[in-house]
Amino acid sequence: MAINKIMSLKEAVSQYVEDGDLVGIGGLSFWRKPISAIREIIRQGKKNLGIVTFVGGLDVDLLAGANCINRVRASFVGMELFGLAPRYREAVESGKLKVIEETEASIALGLKAVYLRLPFMPLKGIIDTDILKVRDDIKEFVDPLKNERLVAVPPIKPDVAIIHVPYADEKGNGNIAGAVWIDDDLSKVAKKVIITCEKIVETEDIIRLPGKGQIPMQKVDAVVRVPFGAHPTSCYPFYTFDPIHIKNYMKINYDEYFNTFIKPENIGDYLEKVGGIKSILNIIT
Amino acid sequence: MDYSIDELITVLMAREVTNTDVMIVGVATPCVWSAFTLAKVTHAPNAIFHYIMGNTFVYEARRVSLLWLENTAISRCHRIHNSGECTLELLPHDTLTTIEFFRPAQIDQYGNTNNTCIGSWDNPKVRLPGAAGIPDFSGFYSRGQSLYVTRHDRRTFVPSEKLFFRSGVGYVNGQMPVAGGAGPKFIITDLAYLDFDEKTKKMRIKTRHPGVSIEEIQEKTGFELIVPNKVPETKPPTDHELKMLREKVDPLAIRRLEVLTGKERDEHLQYVIENEIKMEKRVMERI
Repeated sequence: MAINKIMSLKEAVSQYVEDGDLVGIGGLSFWRKPISAIREIIRQGKKNLGIVTFVGGLDVDLLAGANCINRVRASFVGMELFGLAPRYREAVESGKLKVIEETEASIALGLKAVYLRLPFMPLKGIIDTDILKVRDDIKEFVDPLKNERLVAVPPIKPDVAIIHVPYADEKGNGNIAGAVWIDDDLSKVAKKVIITCEKIVETEDIIRLPGKGQIPMQKVDAVVRVPFGAHPTSCYPFYTFDPIHIKNYMKINYDEYFNTFIKPENIGDYLEKVGGIKSILNIIT
Repeated sequence: MDYSIDELITVLMAREVTNTDVMIVGVATPCVWSAFTLAKVTHAPNAIFHYIMGNTFVYEARRVSLLWLENTAISRCHRIHNSGECTLELLPHDTLTTIEFFRPAQIDQYGNTNNTCIGSWDNPKVRLPGAAGIPDFSGFYSRGQSLYVTRHDRRTFVPSEKLFFRSGVGYVNGQMPVAGGAGPKFIITDLAYLDFDEKTKKMRIKTRHPGVSIEEIQEKTGFELIVPNKVPETKPPTDHELKMLREKVDPLAIRRLEVLTGKERDEHLQYVIENEIKMEKRVMERI
């Protein structure tokens, strides 16, 4: 029987995301974040999730505002030129949300440690930073070969990874037409993987696309078609981030944001609330 | 020609670029992107952009943009790599001469920096974005670390004991970085160009910007700076540099978002957004 992993967003999130999971999120701050899946997680009221993402932005901020998360592993969380992440700030400053301090390398190595099946990876850059003071699972040790100072960083194993891509086939091959960041490694190490995509294409199309299936079918459990599924973040090559929506997000009261933009389950209804066709015309590349 | 602070800072950063550099364009740092683009179209035509937005290498120079950045960083690249490769392998490697500018929220006399929190880490008054990749790269660069600060004041320039969190490593207690790089080299601010004393590794005034006194720089710094006998004035931007920056590199002055605050900043952001949305061609002009 042909493999077909296509399902609805509701099914994918309820089936593969459990309370307490460490959720790996693809993309980078305002760029190719799986925001439609984030909204679904919030609608389903998931609790005590942990997040691991290379650079967090609107994804982490939305989840912090909705009280869905209790720990974040990211090298950076911010809203770029729009300012500090408001709900993330509030949640961390009030003690509701624990930050597990990471750097780009500690995340990249933590993921690599999982597929290399090593108990730790050695790292030099963070020696003498205060990160060692607030991470009791990171330890300095002496290099047995050269007798130099090194730091051991632990593996990071997400329970589920959620990645938005422009193109995927029904078997679960996902093609990223641009920056991959750590998404290929996230998909390698996560126990389960959900892909949301702009377009469902044939496997033959994936084979012909530059980069082919950076997220390969053997690792993917669910494929969900959500056009404009990264909105208000970008999805290259189709659209950039929505600066007007994000500017509004920085000012609006969270309950109002939830009622207007998170509650609508249907992507069409959501896009109508966002400003409809005119908003789309603003951001298409 | 008269110039503004964002123009001065951008031009000074541009002058640091050499013709063989890989120039790392970070996220949300339009001053840096403008500076690199200006360098590329003036004195460093062979320098190569590396965009974190994309993890890509790009050779050509195009106009700076807020919204259409992927149409430069990704569409025009000759190489995409993933973040693991970028962070762990390529950029910190010493076969590339890499230049990257970091903007710290706090910096001490030894060039240690904090981008993590204001107040104690356990109970922060302000949670800042975090260390990002700064410790992963900065300690390794053989040509040293380049820093800039758009508002030189005592909130940013603090003595070591008031650095709330060391997220970027400079000369810890006056020692060279363990990672093996050359350590912090200079800081460009709105008041001065500062560097570090070769012996003590403490911050020193190298040049003061036109119209700024040594007293003012010291007054706005939370620790004692080394002041050499001679502190010349910073060479101001030339007419050519200003013309290229204003007309070709960044005509919407997106870089100004890094120096403005409050209502003025909000209005300028709106101006940039409206103008970029109106663009018929969303691939930026090649310079």
